[in-house]
Amino acid sequence: MRNRKRVGWHRYVNGVNIAVVVTALFILIPLYWLIASSFKAPNSIGTASLNPNPLSGGNYSDAFVGYDFGIYFRNSVIVCITATALVLILGTLAGYALGRLPMRGKFPTLVILLMISVFPEVAVIAPLYLLMRNLHLLDSYPALIIPYTAFFLPFAIWILRNYFLGIPKEMEETGRIDGASPLRTVWTIVLPQALPGLFTAGIFTFTACWTEFLMALTFNPSNNYRTIPVGIAEFGGNFNVPYGTIFAASVVAVVPIGVLVFIFRKFVISGLTSGAVKG
Amino acid sequence: MTALSADIADKIVGEPKLVGRPDVNRKRLARMGWIFTAPALIVIAAVTIFPIVYSVVMSLNNVNVTGNGFSLDGFTFSNYNLLLHSSLWRDALVFTLYYTAVTVIVELIIGTCIALVLERLAAGRGWMMALLLIPWSMITVINAELWAYIYNGTYGIADYILNAIGLGSPVILGTPTPAIIGLMIADIWKTTPFVAIIVLAGLVMLPGDVYEAAEMDGASGWYTFWHITLPLLRPTIALAVMFRILQAFGLFDLPYVMTGGGPGTATTSLAVLAYDALFKNLAFGPGAAVAVSAALLVLLGCLATLRVFRAQVGQEGT
Repeated sequence: MRNRKRVGWHRYVNGVNIAVVVTALFILIPLYWLIASSFKAPNSIGTASLNPNPLSGGNYSDAFVGYDFGIYFRNSVIVCITATALVLILGTLAGYALGRLPMRGKFPTLVILLMISVFPEVAVIAPLYLLMRNLHLLDSYPALIIPYTAFFLPFAIWILRNYFLGIPKEMEETGRIDGASPLRTVWTIVLPQALPGLFTAGIFTFTACWTEFLMALTFNPSNNYRTIPVGIAEFGGNFNVPYGTIFAASVVAVVPIGVLVFIFRKFVISGLTSGAVKG
Repeated sequence: MTALSADIADKIVGEPKLVGRPDVNRKRLARMGWIFTAPALIVIAAVTIFPIVYSVVMSLNNVNVTGNGFSLDGFTFSNYNLLLHSSLWRDALVFTLYYTAVTVIVELIIGTCIALVLERLAAGRGWMMALLLIPWSMITVINAELWAYIYNGTYGIADYILNAIGLGSPVILGTPTPAIIGLMIADIWKTTPFVAIIVLAGLVMLPGDVYEAAEMDGASGWYTFWHITLPLLRPTIALAVMFRILQAFGLFDLPYVMTGGGPGTATTSLAVLAYDALFKNLAFGPGAAVAVSAALLVLLGCLATLRVFRAQVGQEGT
């Protein structure tokens, strides 16, 4: 409104818009660099040219054929989907109970959960590694699915609890008066209302699993069970880092999660801001 | 916000009216609650709490790792003694604290600026929010590889720029101070947008009438920000800062991929040191001690900010 007097494109030139453009460039330039470099011909990756010229898909075929990126991608998908499903099942039950049922000791439980969700992974990897070695679980899917489920559950419980708290109680009482069991009440009455919360918790858990590095590196070092982050980190040899391949693989790894986050950005933002905060 | 309204709804509706004898019903529901919560708590305890305790036990023992097992050979303080007399551990501690302090402060300042700008943005805020989410959802390893490429000594764009503005061409990731700054920039690129989203959410929820009053009193923009906006934002910022600090104590992915903790030990964080001790040197006792020291740091941080946690739980109306 205050720029009404200005005409033409001049009215878009103001402090706010300039700052927004600077911010956008700050984010976009490294991203552009990532994508542009992935399309450079494998032998021109060592040049600082801004445009990939000629445009080449060589790095992409290299990532899948020359390296085993296909395997890493499959492993990540299997591990992340299974862990997310488990987190949502266990998290919904616990979040519902902690949000709505009259339990003693809710407060300490919630504080401990919040603390666990910020605990450094490095504090647990040594005993977990030895435990898994004894159980012959190293280099397997459960070696990641189990710790991911446990590590990302507390945060999911928090998000879900906050959503359950927000659903009017009358709805549930109707079910209770009709004599439905609590489990049935949750399933038919409460859960449909909490669907946005499930989306939010699901996306957070999936993203956390997709990006996790330390446990994947420690528990699943063999080529057949590596996930994407470990695979990409290990592309590099001692003397030669194949950046073209790394960036092609990176684009393939970033796109699914980027699309997911973009589509569900409302849920992600509400999750980031509904109280419990985690990066 | 939703939680707040639930709290109000709770007060209006009061205790749910239950059929049958209320006390029996209440007990039944409480039991139901623990049955619902038990599976999650058991999994969490088995995979997080038990190993944390076991890490402490390992750090207080001579741990012998053999081909197909390991044994604890007696209680000892020697692992911690080793840490206290080791410059490696001290350097890692100092680096972790220093790195945390700088990145969190810079991210907070830039993030708040971005949030203030976005709040005034009339059109396209949704798009900007989506853009801010990209670095947040980026795999840290990819972030690390990308910046390592940018810093590369022979064909990196950073090298080219530094040369062009006459700063020479330092081997960025091969010289201690530039390597640390390089890591910090990569971290700031990834995490500042996240801080901005949190602060923006806090800004949007601030009550509008306070601002009208300030405007009527003729307060300047700067004054309003400093004396009204910032104090009102404090809970949001405190929470974001706390989570960022605790997270930064576990710093691992960036230095592991970008510098391997080097040059020398310039970028060796506590987590990298623990990992190297555990899985490169197979020194499980000292490694566990380093890991426990990192965990203790987080625990101290948690206790120091317990009030924030408490406010977080209390606010939601437990």
